[in-house]
Amino acid sequence: MPQLVTVRYRRPDGRWRRLFIPVLLVLVVLLMLSPLLVLAALGGLIVGRVYGYRVSFLGALGGLGQVLWALPGARLEIDDGQTAFLIRVF
Amino acid sequence: MDEQGRQILMMLAEGKITADEAERLINALERQQPELAAGAESRPKARPKYLRVLVEDTSTGDEPSRINIRVPLQLLRAGVRLTSLVPPKAMTKINTELARSGVPIDLSELKPAQLEELIDQLHEVTVDVDDSTSKVQVFCE
Repeated sequence: MPQLVTVRYRRPDGRWRRLFIPVLLVLVVLLMLSPLLVLAALGGLIVGRVYGYRVSFLGALGGLGQVLWALPGARLEIDDGQTAFLIRVF
Repeated sequence: MDEQGRQILMMLAEGKITADEAERLINALERQQPELAAGAESRPKARPKYLRVLVEDTSTGDEPSRINIRVPLQLLRAGVRLTSLVPPKAMTKINTELARSGVPIDLSELKPAQLEELIDQLHEVTVDVDDSTSKVQVFCE
């Protein structure tokens, strides 16, 4: 499971800024928002049923968990003139 | 010459062994060395863990545009497993759009095991495009 995400981006003045995002902190925020997330998930399921897109809730949860667990080591770096950023997952 | 061969020659020079014995020892050594080399070649290579995509484009201006992406292969596997969750109705729409774009592939025919095998074989893939203004490299590491 990822522990830390670092985001490094170039500001308009040319200087670089780095952000360290602890994943545990994000999980705590998600936990606080969990009542809303449950409602959103239920809403999504109902909309899916109405439009005929039946998705297994547990399957989707498991799939997202696998994606989350596989994230460490991922790196995305783009440097294109004004836009430059680097995202790394540890 | 390696250390063992040198030792045999020294033993011969010191008179510890005869020329015939030295010849037999050197022959035995030569027979042994190809087997060792073959053993080293058959040792499995470390499995790659990441898919790497590097793009460099100098056509846009003075500063080259660069893209450097490293995707864990495990993430590709997890993504592939997610495709099994795509509802059949959405799969039909995707197939229709693919066919309209000139890619007549029926994605519902792709089995998870086949996709897993595809990812397993990715470490053999190396794409290297190099022209005057841009360079693209895709490989596993």
